[in-house]
Amino acid sequence: MKKTSTRLLAIMLAVTLLSGLMAGCDVLGKEKTFEMFIAMPGTELNEGNKAQEKIAEITGVKVKETWLTGQTAEEAIGVMVAAKDYPDFIEASDGYQIMVDAGALIAIDEHWDKYPNIKNYLTEEQWNMCRKEDGHIYAIPQFGIVNDRDVSPIHNDEAWWIQTRVLKWAGYPEVTTLDDYFKLIEDYAAANPTHVDGTDIIPYTILCEDWRYYCLENPPLFLAGSPNDGSVIVDPETRQVIDYNTTDIAKDYFKKLNEEYHKGMIDPEFFSQSYDEYIAKISTGRVLGFVDQFWNWGYTAQDAIKAAGLTDCTYVPLGIVAEPGIEERYHNEPVLDVSGGLSITTSCKDIDGAMKFISDLLTEEVLTLRFWGIEGVDYLVDDDGLFYRTEEMRANAIDANYKADNLCPYAYFPQYEGMNLDGKNAWRPDNQPSEFFEDLLPEVKECLEAYGAKTYVEMLNPSKPNEPWFPMWSFSNDLTTDTPGGMAWAKMTETKHEWLPRVVMADDFEAEWEEYLEVYYRADIDAFLAEMQAEVDRRIAVAEGN
Amino acid sequence: MTDKDKEKDNRTPEEKKTAEELAVEMKVASIKRRQLAYSSDSSSGNPEKTKEELAARLSWKEKRKLKAERLAEPKVELNRRTLRRQKELLLITIPFVLYGFIFYYLPLGGWIMAFQDYEPKDGLLGSEFVGLDVFRYIFGEESFLYAFRNTLAMGVINLVLSFVFAIGFALLLNEVRLRGPKKFAQTVSYLPHFLSWIIVVGIVRDMLSMDHGIVNDLLVRFDILDKPMNFFSKPDLFWWIVGFSNVWKETGWNSIIYLAAITAINPEMYEAAALDGAGRFGKMWHVTLPGIKPTIFILLMINIGNVLNVGFEIQYLLTNAMIKKVSETIDIWVLYWGIGQGDFSVGTAAGIFKSVVSIILIYLANSAAKATGEERLF
Repeated sequence: MKKTSTRLLAIMLAVTLLSGLMAGCDVLGKEKTFEMFIAMPGTELNEGNKAQEKIAEITGVKVKETWLTGQTAEEAIGVMVAAKDYPDFIEASDGYQIMVDAGALIAIDEHWDKYPNIKNYLTEEQWNMCRKEDGHIYAIPQFGIVNDRDVSPIHNDEAWWIQTRVLKWAGYPEVTTLDDYFKLIEDYAAANPTHVDGTDIIPYTILCEDWRYYCLENPPLFLAGSPNDGSVIVDPETRQVIDYNTTDIAKDYFKKLNEEYHKGMIDPEFFSQSYDEYIAKISTGRVLGFVDQFWNWGYTAQDAIKAAGLTDCTYVPLGIVAEPGIEERYHNEPVLDVSGGLSITTSCKDIDGAMKFISDLLTEEVLTLRFWGIEGVDYLVDDDGLFYRTEEMRANAIDANYKADNLCPYAYFPQYEGMNLDGKNAWRPDNQPSEFFEDLLPEVKECLEAYGAKTYVEMLNPSKPNEPWFPMWSFSNDLTTDTPGGMAWAKMTETKHEWLPRVVMADDFEAEWEEYLEVYYRADIDAFLAEMQAEVDRRIAVAEGN
Repeated sequence: MTDKDKEKDNRTPEEKKTAEELAVEMKVASIKRRQLAYSSDSSSGNPEKTKEELAARLSWKEKRKLKAERLAEPKVELNRRTLRRQKELLLITIPFVLYGFIFYYLPLGGWIMAFQDYEPKDGLLGSEFVGLDVFRYIFGEESFLYAFRNTLAMGVINLVLSFVFAIGFALLLNEVRLRGPKKFAQTVSYLPHFLSWIIVVGIVRDMLSMDHGIVNDLLVRFDILDKPMNFFSKPDLFWWIVGFSNVWKETGWNSIIYLAAITAINPEMYEAAALDGAGRFGKMWHVTLPGIKPTIFILLMINIGNVLNVGFEIQYLLTNAMIKKVSETIDIWVLYWGIGQGDFSVGTAAGIFKSVVSIILIYLANSAAKATGEERLF
């Protein structure tokens, strides 16, 4: 008996050891596997994902993506830098500058000669914007590179969102100012205090968690009619930077929030809710309105509301301004984000293989696979070469499980937005006008029509050409505490993050605001503005070819 | 109990007795020796003094010395013979010494970073030395001083609450006479220890939620509040929320060790106390508590050394920007600056400071214990 069990144990041990060995080496050989870390929250693909397998057949490469969980991007990247152990590919997000400083990235421009797809991905001027002080390029931007023209019907950026049922109830009124917006919400909330599920409605909520507190702090910039420069307003006439935090518009905005808070219109838990709680809250359809970037909530909460059948509870964007006469600029042309991108690290042993893979991903065949899926399964092609989907395919495309098993967008690898390289179709189904209209809820359609709009984008003013310095956030995102301006920026952020919720909740608004300003001016605001101004001037000079 | 066991039991008291007698004899001998020394030194030497009187004359320092002599282990000389004799034992310890060296002492080399302007690309050897600049910087940084204050405050709150509740709970549980309910209560109470903080934080947030959290609901129903209160907007409450979350999670677990100590108390003591007229509380006060006093002291000392390790998860998960000033601990500060901002020097310096304070605290606690003649660590 004892002998048998000992033997069994020995066999088990041997098997464990062997399987450990097998896992260690890629026995299959032919297919290369790269590791990638993306310093953003995301969903991992399942083993054997169909589109991923197909891409691997074409390119000979499979990439294992891992995402940020429970940390900030800087923390995750910081840990990697401390250990000097990186994945092959990385999208470092806020940790990009840390990686560059640590010498952890490969200079892309030293390896791109064999890969015209990469070299011609951006223009010479655009690549120059990506260069770091040493003249090298360490990251390939993935977003805002438009092929041909932008046909997106979705406003992917910031706006004042409101449920269509609120607008419908009020008879689709004109809503332009802050006062209009809150008046509408107050009236609706007074008349309809209970949501369909029996809970109280939440008239207005504000996300304040970590870096996402922009939902609270940056509306003064939009209310003043500026585009989303992020950290400052740049006066288009004088080309001078202005601090939007202390303008009269900012004060009025926070005063309004303070009033609404005391009227019970603002979610009393707004400043302590986590991002997940916020998304969960919106997903129930209880929240009437809020300010946010569409990409931050739309692809999760809007889909959840639709899936729950609350067809009158989805949101449309409004371009609210401080007072009538100010022209809003919520929608802008896609911008090239040069503050980071896809990088290859020094830990990558096969740089040529990695470059070839990036290059292969930019071919028409693979781009279509990435964003449309597999022909005949995820989309169909009509006689004119236009892609379309059946009802079932559309439902599949928003089903999280189906996506993890079948679709593989490799979203943080370089891509072309706007049109597919075939010149006929949009780069992605939700950008395809025919697909968009098929999928539109009747409630939303009615609402859009009431405002003379066909798409979400048309709810807002058409975009103007981007100014040469736009967007300034691509500079302030990379500020570190090594410079006085960066130090001031960190202090300003910290002060605002702590004080603005207090200002909103204060019993005596004026006194609290004064106190806030006093703390705010302890940071060296001028040093920050000077660095921003220098960057504006530099970008103008680059654009004018000096 | 078998007969054999009974025989054993019969034998042991006798053996014990002889050992005790021996000890008493030794003590008396040493006192006599001292007495001789006294009488030869002082002019008023009285050789007829009883040993009790003599013992009373000894100062507490001498008493302590006596106790130490009694407790001291026999000295073993380090020579080739002992080495050879303990060859196997020494061989067995080698892996552990190596383990300790590699994982506890080798990483201390990284402390160099605190005295450098460390750049990851230059490495430990290539970075520039800046003396104590980094320490000067962190002590000038307001947020670090706040973090230190918060860490210390929450540490002390946790220490006091966890002691009071764990000991109280152990005492009360010990009074439960029915085996079943006692075991049940004990099991239920220590289960939360196995939950991860992230789950506990979820529970705490739900309980304190304004949107039908149980605490707010109760407070409103009993008219203590007119409308739900947001517990996370009050900086004064945060330390106590953390303290009581700790109590909820760890009380049952912490009390296990006290319960074990209580079972070691000789039942005869209780019988004697009962004869002298002590009730339940009297027994608790005069028998149980003194019985577990050594355990309490040892745990107190270990925990004082740990005061600055108030944790990281609960503060990190429960905080928001408005109460950051009271919630940020040194560990979070180190994470933010060291890892988040990529300033390893500042993070390391703060970590060193924390270790130094912990060592000082544990040393103070130990000296205090030594001074009062209680159990101690070293």
